[in-house]
Amino acid sequence: MPAVLTVDPRSGVPIYLQIIEQIKRSIALGVLQVGEQLPTVKQLAIDLTVNPNTVGRAYRELEREQVIETAPGRGSFVRANGATELPRVAAEIGRDALDVALREAKSVNLGREEVRELFETALTRWFPSFEK
Amino acid sequence: MNYVEWLRVRNLLRIVAIVLAILVVLAVVLRVSVARYMSPESWIAHMASGTGTRETRTTLPDGTNRVILDDPADRTHIVIDDHGYAGKHIVVTEPTSRAHKENSNVNVGSIHVIESPHGDMTTTVIDTNGAVPMIYYMALADIVALLVATILAAPFAREIDGHLEVTLTKPCSRFRYAAGAIGADVAGIVAASVLTVVAFYLCQLLFESARLDFSGINARAIAMGVVCPLAWYALWCAATTWFNRSYGAVLGFAWPITIFIGILTLVPTANAVALFIHDVAWVLSRLNPLSYVSFAEPTSSGTLAYTGSNFGLRLSLELLLFVVYAALAIWKWQRVEA
Amino acid sequence: MSTITISNLRKIYAGVPAVDGFSLEIPGGSVFGILGPNGAGKTTTFKCMLGLARADSGEVLYDGKALVPQMFEQIAYVPERSVLYEWMTVDEHVEMTRRAFSRFDAARAAELLAQFNIDKRKRARALSKGMRTAVMVALAFSRNAEILVLDEPTGGLDPVNQRHVLSLMINEAAKGNSVVFSSHQIGQVERAAEHIAVMDRGRLILQGLVDDLKADRKIVEGIFPDVNFTLDGIANDSRVARADRTERIVRLLVTAGADEIAARLSGAGAVGVRVLDLNLEDIFLYAVSPATATTDVVAKENSL
Repeated sequence: MPAVLTVDPRSGVPIYLQIIEQIKRSIALGVLQVGEQLPTVKQLAIDLTVNPNTVGRAYRELEREQVIETAPGRGSFVRANGATELPRVAAEIGRDALDVALREAKSVNLGREEVRELFETALTRWFPSFEK
Repeated sequence: MNYVEWLRVRNLLRIVAIVLAILVVLAVVLRVSVARYMSPESWIAHMASGTGTRETRTTLPDGTNRVILDDPADRTHIVIDDHGYAGKHIVVTEPTSRAHKENSNVNVGSIHVIESPHGDMTTTVIDTNGAVPMIYYMALADIVALLVATILAAPFAREIDGHLEVTLTKPCSRFRYAAGAIGADVAGIVAASVLTVVAFYLCQLLFESARLDFSGINARAIAMGVVCPLAWYALWCAATTWFNRSYGAVLGFAWPITIFIGILTLVPTANAVALFIHDVAWVLSRLNPLSYVSFAEPTSSGTLAYTGSNFGLRLSLELLLFVVYAALAIWKWQRVEA
Repeated sequence: MSTITISNLRKIYAGVPAVDGFSLEIPGGSVFGILGPNGAGKTTTFKCMLGLARADSGEVLYDGKALVPQMFEQIAYVPERSVLYEWMTVDEHVEMTRRAFSRFDAARAAELLAQFNIDKRKRARALSKGMRTAVMVALAFSRNAEILVLDEPTGGLDPVNQRHVLSLMINEAAKGNSVVFSSHQIGQVERAAEHIAVMDRGRLILQGLVDDLKADRKIVEGIFPDVNFTLDGIANDSRVARADRTERIVRLLVTAGADEIAARLSGAGAVGVRVLDLNLEDIFLYAVSPATATTDVVAKENSL
């Protein structure tokens, strides 16, 4: 699992947010299975070479968002109702990406129709009609 | 807490030990090479002068080889008792006019010569294995001790020179650290004295059985001989702690300055300027622990006599100097900043 | 032995205050990074913290108590420059540390020295600057100390060893010990530190949790169509830390509420308004470089 997880401390995005995003991503992609145990806070901190409290904060946030659950003394696990979580998490990732794209597009004064056209073109390119 | 200082002391004592060991080895070489000059025959050949000398050899009940040389024409009678390793006892009876003036009473190390004239004859007793006054040993030990003391005398300056971040972050008070450092150096100086005494004792053992005389002035020599280098050490310990940036120069100038001031105290007080210089130098020399040491001279009766006075006072002053200088060094150390 | 409280620390060298009324609270069990330009007073602060220098005023308390020598059992220090004894071997330094500190783990020290590739029989004078730093680091991290004070602990180290020191720091944090360190390697600080403080000219400029600083501090950038424009008092908003203007481009450094201020900037007529993330290096550089304008920018005013 840690192999999929990388953080960029030089990015303007706080590390704990990066961890949260990447764990959600792993879940959405099935790299992290439902019910699978996450590394301990300490272990992940050492693996990623980041402060343990940063990892702890990410885990707490994920718990608050009900993506993972922590059993005291046993560890942290991907929540069992993950079957319904996968689409939700994926949807969140997709929504965040679109937010960024649209904000950028708006910042260069593109209008609604222009953005829609660009979107349709991109959609065709990324999701050719023969795909689901 | 003072492991570093103990290491410094150990490294220095190693060098001292090596030098002394070389000395002992040289003594062994010397002993082997002069072996034949120490035999009774060469002594006898030396002592016998005229052709009329009659030689008689006997062996005493205790194994001593006795040689009697008698020259009635010269009225010279010589008895040589050879105790082997325990030395020789020689009694020379001769006319006073013939007695060599250089055979006046002298104790040089283990060779004791006592001359007693009676009428027109003079009896000279030569003992080659007299007891060696400890004062001779202490003189040698002090030379080494003073040298070692000078080299060790900058324990705090050495720490101030880039190591305070290590020294002042140890879980012990600054006072305890300072006392420990001084303790290590004091142990090193005393050890150097002991090593020197042992080395010279070994050298003497190669030539004859060594008997040491601890009596009288010798005991006082030991006391002063131990304390004086410690006071000297404490003086320069204080000086280098205050002038810590150039402690090498301070130690380097220690001896020259001291000798210079000592010379100035001998300036003849012919005029006011000379008197002033003399007085200033005299006051400064009171700070010098070596000023309180006085020496011994051989007297006409063949013993060593003490030229100084007030031994108790001077020894107390020496101890006081040690304490005061050490306290000054520690006081400065308490205030040092990284 | 947890919390370190620095109150109004002041230390003057040759008439110039190296530390000038510096106050900081360092919570226990955290990794606290102290950033600052050269000469900011970081090393002087450490020295005052450890009793190596006497502060002219102010104090440093450990859990409310002043520093006493016995506390050094719990405090390990790696100074900025090498303080090893040139004539002693690494082994002798290990022995020295073992004798001075009761919780020293000689086996761990041997392990760390091997990881840093140090030949323990070498004398300190035969070691390069980086290797000397590595020795000091190895000894400090084998002390089982509750507080580690590290002044530029990666000075002279190659990147592999730098990462190694970072891992050691994170390990200590995972064990619940405090690590207070200063570094010019912002990337390292970003990884290891939970809290940071920025120091400049002896004063505290900025402090906070790294994650929060990065989450809250943003640049709101907008481009005005005309050189003559006003910001309508946006720059006076308490959340705007500084405003820089280059011709028609305005950049506002905000400490919170970036999206709201971006909206206001659009409302004032700016186009191409966007919110830019700041990494720690950016945050640091903005904090220590001089502010150019924090008041309302008026038309026809001479700008930089």
